[in-house]
This record gives sequence, C-alpha cells and structure tokens, in this order.
Amino acid sequence: MTDTARGSDRPIPSAPPPDGIGAPAGTARQVPVAARRRHGAVIGALVLRRAGRSGALWGLIFGAFVAAQLLAYAATYRTQSARDGLAGAYGNNAGLDALLGQARAINTTAGYAEWRLLGVLSIVGAIWGLLTSTRLIRGDEESGRSDLLLCGPTTRRRAAGQAMAGLAGGLMALFALTATGMALAGRSHAIGLSVQRSLFFSATLVASAALFLAVGALTSQLASTRRHAAALAGTIFGVAFAVRMTADSDARLSWLIWMSPLGWIERIRALTDPDPLALLAVVALVAVLGGAAAYLAGARDVGAASLPARTASRPRPRLLGGPAGLGLRLTRATAIGWLSGVTALSVLMGSLARGSTQDVTGSVGIRASVGRLGGNGGLVDVYLGLAFLVVALVITLVAAGQMTAIRDEEAQGRLENLLARPVGRGSWLAGRLGLCVLLVVISGVVAGLGTWAGAALQHSGVSLGTLLLAGLNAAPPALFLVGLGAIVFGAWPRRTSAVIYSYLAWSFLVEFFGAIVRTDHWIMDTSIIFHMVPAPAAGPDWASVAVIAGLGAAGAVAGVALFRRRDLAAA
Amino acid sequence: MIKPAIRSAGLSKTYGTVTALAGLDLEIAPGEVVGYLGPNGAGKTTTIRLLLGLARPTAGRAEIFGMDCQRRMADAHRHLAYVPGEASLWPSLTGAETLHLLGRVGGRIDPGYRDELIDRFAFDPSRKVRAYSKGNRQKLLLIGALMTRAELLVLDEPTSGFDPLMEKEFQRSVLEAREQGQAVFLSSHILSEVEAVCDRVAILREGRLVEVGTLSEMRHLSTLTVEAVFDGAPPDLAGVPGVRRAAIQGRTVHLQVHGSIQPLVKALAGSGVRQFLSREPSLEELFLAHYGPEGTAA
Repeated sequence: MTDTARGSDRPIPSAPPPDGIGAPAGTARQVPVAARRRHGAVIGALVLRRAGRSGALWGLIFGAFVAAQLLAYAATYRTQSARDGLAGAYGNNAGLDALLGQARAINTTAGYAEWRLLGVLSIVGAIWGLLTSTRLIRGDEESGRSDLLLCGPTTRRRAAGQAMAGLAGGLMALFALTATGMALAGRSHAIGLSVQRSLFFSATLVASAALFLAVGALTSQLASTRRHAAALAGTIFGVAFAVRMTADSDARLSWLIWMSPLGWIERIRALTDPDPLALLAVVALVAVLGGAAAYLAGARDVGAASLPARTASRPRPRLLGGPAGLGLRLTRATAIGWLSGVTALSVLMGSLARGSTQDVTGSVGIRASVGRLGGNGGLVDVYLGLAFLVVALVITLVAAGQMTAIRDEEAQGRLENLLARPVGRGSWLAGRLGLCVLLVVISGVVAGLGTWAGAALQHSGVSLGTLLLAGLNAAPPALFLVGLGAIVFGAWPRRTSAVIYSYLAWSFLVEFFGAIVRTDHWIMDTSIIFHMVPAPAAGPDWASVAVIAGLGAAGAVAGVALFRRRDLAAA
Repeated sequence: MIKPAIRSAGLSKTYGTVTALAGLDLEIAPGEVVGYLGPNGAGKTTTIRLLLGLARPTAGRAEIFGMDCQRRMADAHRHLAYVPGEASLWPSLTGAETLHLLGRVGGRIDPGYRDELIDRFAFDPSRKVRAYSKGNRQKLLLIGALMTRAELLVLDEPTSGFDPLMEKEFQRSVLEAREQGQAVFLSSHILSEVEAVCDRVAILREGRLVEVGTLSEMRHLSTLTVEAVFDGAPPDLAGVPGVRRAAIQGRTVHLQVHGSIQPLVKALAGSGVRQFLSREPSLEELFLAHYGPEGTAA
C-alpha cells in the first residue's frame, strides 16, 4: 500500500503541483499533496471557477435589474393613489398573470417586487441554470476533458457530487450579488424592506436557477450530448412554464399551480404571504434531482448516457448533396424544437386573448403601455400586440441560436472539411444565413397561425390575415440580429456568441425596465424590439419593417464580405 | 507545359509578432510524393492552411496546378483532396452519410475504389461519427480523400491513431496514388512512413525551410555512422578531418563522419582494423541531426 492509500500526512504526489511547472530541470521538488482528499476538490474547484464566473456576471445583472426596478417603482409611483392606479391597470389581467405570475397587492412595494421581479428572473434564471449545468457537466464529458480528472483518485459518483458542489458555488455567486442589489435597494427609505426579508426574497428569485441547475445535472446523465441534455432540460422548463402559465390564467385552474415546480416558486411569496411548504418543496426537489444525478453518474460508463443512444443507423443521404442540404440536416432537429415551442406559446397566448381583456379597467393600463409603442385599437388587439412583442423576443433567441451554430461549425473545425473542397466561403455563409432567415420567417408565420388557432378556440373574432401579418411583423428584430451576428462573425469570430447574447440580455432588461418607467430615453432605442410596431394593435409599419430588415440584410452582406477576407479561426 | 502540383514563392504568415512561416519557396511536381517534416509548431499546418486558402498569407503566394490559392480557391480545390490533422466531423452523421456528403461536395469520386478502401481499412460506415474512435474518424477522412483520386493529396498527419496494419494499408494507398500519377504532400511525424513512401523530403524549422531534397541527397550531405574494431588499442582519430563524436569502447570505436570518408580511410590504413562497418543515417537520425540537442551537426 502506498502512503496515499494509508492516508498518511505525506503522501506521494499524484501529479506535479502547478508551482513545480517551469522549475529548472533536475530540481523536481516533491511537494506533498493530500492527493486522496484533494483530488475530488479539484473537480469541484474547476466547475466552481467557471460556474462562479458566470454566476457572478448574471448576479451583477440580476442585482442591477432588481435595484433599478425597485427604485424606479418608488420614484415613479410616489403616492398611494398612483400605486392603486398601477394596480388597477395591471392587477387584474389574466394575460399578464399568465406570463409573469399572479399579481397580488401590487399597490405595495412588496407585492410589486414579487410580481415583477420573480416572473422575469425565474425565466432568465432557469435558462441560465440549465445551460450552465449541461455545459459544465455533459459538455466536459462529451469533449473528453472530464476523463482526465476521472483518472485521478476519485469515483464517478464522488466526482459528480463535486461538480454539483461547484455548481452550487456558482448559484451562491448569483444569489450573493442579487441579494446585494436587493438589500441595497431595500434599505432606501422609499422602499423600506428589512435585510432579512430582502435575503429571503432573493433566495426565491434564484430558486428557479437552482432548480434548473439540478434539472440540467440530471439530464446531463440521461443524454449523451450537451445539446440533447440542454434540449431535454429546456423541454422540462417549457412544460413546467406552460403548466404554471395555465394555472395562473384562470382561477378555476389554480390547483394546477402545484403541478409545476415553477408554481411552487411563485407560491413561496416571500414578501407578501410566506408559504414555508412551497419553499420546502423546492429545496426537496433540488436535493432529489441532485441525488438522482449523482446516483446515475455512478451507475453508468463515463461518456455514455443512461438513456439508450443510437450509435448506428441506416444512411439517409437525401439532404446531403451539398453545403445547403447539410445545413438543413444539421438545423432540422433544433428547428422542430423551436417551432414547437413557438407554436405552443402562441396558441396559449391566443387562447388567453379574450379572457385577458374582459376587465375593461384592467386593460386601460395595457392600452397606455402599448400606446407608448404606437399601438391602439380594440382591447383584444392591444393584448395581442403585447403578446407578439414576447413572440418577437423568442424569435430573436431562435436567430441567436443559429448564429452560434454557424460559429460552432468553424470553431470545431468541421467547416474545413467543406472549405477544403470546391465550396466558396461566401456561398457557404450566405446559405447558412439564408437558412436562418427562413427559420425566422417561418417562426413568425407559425406564431401568427398559432395565435389565430388559440384565439379562434375562444371565439375572439380576430382574422387569420391580421394575425399572420402580426406574426411576420415580429420577425424583423431577429433579422436585424442576424445581420449584427454576421458582422461580428466576419470581423471577430470568437466574440460572435458573447456579443449576440449580451445584446439580447441587454434588450430583454431594457424592455422590462421600460415597460414600467415611462421614458422616451435614448437608452430605450437601443433595444432590439423597441422599434417594432405592436401589431395587430397598430397596422404594421412596412417602411420601418423594411428599414430594420434592410439593416439586417446589409449586415449579412458585410459579414459575408468580411468572412471571405479573413483566416478561419479555431475555438 | 505541365504545371507544378504545388508552387509557393516567398509564402509567409505572421500572427502578431510570431512568425509562423517565413518565405517558403517550394515546388512539387505532379506525381511526386513529398514528406513535410518539422517539430511541433514549426509551421507545417500553417503551410497547409495557406495552400488551402483557409488562412491568408502575410506575404508571398502559392499556386495549385497554376491556380492561385487565394483568388482561384474553389478551382484549385477541384484538383485536390485534404485530410486534416484533427478529425472534426459532424457527430450526428453516420460514416456512410459523411462519405456521401464529402463526395458530393468534392464533385467526383470513384465508387469502386471507395468500396475497396472501406474494405481494406476494415471500416464500418454504418456507425455514427460520435461513436467512432479517433483512429476510425481518421480512417473516414482518409477514405473520403483517397476516393476522389484527386491529382493532389494534401495530408496533415493522416495516420495519427492508426495501428501498424492500418499504417501499412495507408502506405500502400499512397504508393498506389503515386502510380496513378497523383501528387502527395504528406506532413508527418512518423519518419518510417515518410522514408517508405516519399520521393523527396522538406524539413521545416521555426517557420523556415532548412532542408529539401531526396533522401539519398540528404544522406550524402549528412553524416555516416562508422563502427571499427581493432586488433590492439585503437588509435586517436579525433583529429581526422570530418570525424565527429568518436567514442572508444575497449577495442571498438564508434564515430560519425561528415563529408568525405577518404581522410578516415587513410588514417585507418595500417592501424590494424579487424572489422569496419559503415551505415547511412536513417531519416530519424537526419531529423535528429537537425533538431536534436546537438542540432547543428549537419
């Protein structure tokens, strides 16, 4: 037995320590490392480093968002009557309730914070959580990086536990910075929330992130690729969100809230009516999911998945006749996923159109808010105008995913296999951008059709033509993003994903910020969807549609030209 | 007039302050097999990326069969096939689907030869790329290139991950290609492979071409390894012109001779030599002579 195995204080080092690197030859110092105890911690530390960085970045955004929202509320609605007015405008709107969760007592700071902050941050947090954990767990395993670490004195189960501990550290970073923003804003005289309540509420704000970190850890065991793991986790999020949305849309369906963990998070109501049972349920679910992930990690081969993965299949060469067909083949599964999501969302929003606009007083505020963007018209139209803004944001996500996929082809070296053959760079990129535009336009059409189908079910009396146009009207922001992405891809390929998603995150925050602070500030103009007319509340402004889509097209042309003039860049 | 398969003139590439390739002048004739050697980071892959137009030269230019690698990239690519050093492929496609795609994109294939290669390399095309080992992915790319029977094969360490049987098949395929009149540009670290198949060898060091020629030319210019056994105590040969690294072991002397062997033969005459063995350097020794700790030997 070695010293290490006996747990001696001076075990043989299993690897040269970092401080031994670069030491002069012949001076190999043996630095004692408690290999057995610390090796597992290496995995945890590595995951922590990356999850912590991401958690801190998003924590800053969360913290700033929370503080800005609360301070803006206090500044904009100084008097109780102003707050009652706000509650009158937004407080009884089934459509908004469905999107953001039930509004309770939003004429108080506490009620407002719960409704406004929790709804938005639960969505962003969940997506962050599932992307982060699938990237750091399955992504590392897929690439073979984790093999190196698993060769050390650890077990698969212990390594999985350490990785999840690292993710928990990332979550703590997210929580700490969110809570800092919340507590700082809460201390202001106008808001007046105790630090204790701020901390408790901040915990609920990051609860969905915790939940989907755990969901991602579990799906990382089930699927053999990062993409499948993320898609699986995304589907779970979609179902949980749809159930929560349905439960909040109609009082008769409110029992459904207990069917979705996102509903439990809503029920915690940290500031207005705390429900410890709901909090306990969330914590218990996270623990169960994490435990299941660790168990499965120990019960399978490294690199393999718990769900059976097909490793062979009959050749289906139909689409594989050239780069364009290949693009279609590679995009197909993702496209079907997104289009199903857009269909589900739009049918749901369409079916809520009538119910949301029954209460006339409630709709006055929305009307004002849509009016700010240039919309007016019937109540149902006004509601749908707002719904299509959400659709537009979702379609920009579709486009962002496509641009990332284009860059990935180059970064991973697969593109070389095409470009070393008689395939022009320009035609390859133009083909992929064209595919992206096609997907964006189809998403718009599907959104229009889905909304119409949902609305028709409720006999809302909105014509198919109107909604198809409204759907198409939701596409230009995504086309603009494609153009922006193409330029970045052409000029700074390694920054493609970062620039696109940062811009989207910015737009997302500006949109929600602007929805409550009545401002014509120029900052609002930087949002990707601010220039979109809220059809069908207003007729689509084809001139501005042409300008935005034209900017996108110009960006695409410039991106292709830049791409033709640069070296291919690996990851 | 027959145009060279590859011709580069002053081909250079710098990344910031790092010079990856400095003024490469190289010409490869049709039907010629050229080995491209150099230590890691010498600029081999950079050269290939410049030839393929995947990267743009800082200075100089290169042509494939007389077509400029940058301006007539797609035309040039019609005459070549490439195997990259890293086998990055689409994980969701099967081997057969990948071959179909690469064939269609490349524009021409010899289906009979493809099937023969699949057989010879013992490759199972029904599996998905993500399920292949590194060696199998490399085989897939190699079959994808060979099946085109392109006039020029550009191979960047194509056999990393091959077992000895597959290595043998690879060498056979390269020799077949040469018989067919195809040119081969082979970047490799497996010196026995280069020695077995290449007509000429080009050696790169820190972005500069330090040696190019046939193996026999290079051997001629290089050192000869000599082992001599004497009846009595060996004489001191250190002062003889051309002799290096003389080492005495009992009655045996090991030494290396650079240039002409005449002075040594004269010095040995009448000194009681019982046994005299001389050997040309292997490519490995030539290579080490350029890059080893005593890298200035040649």
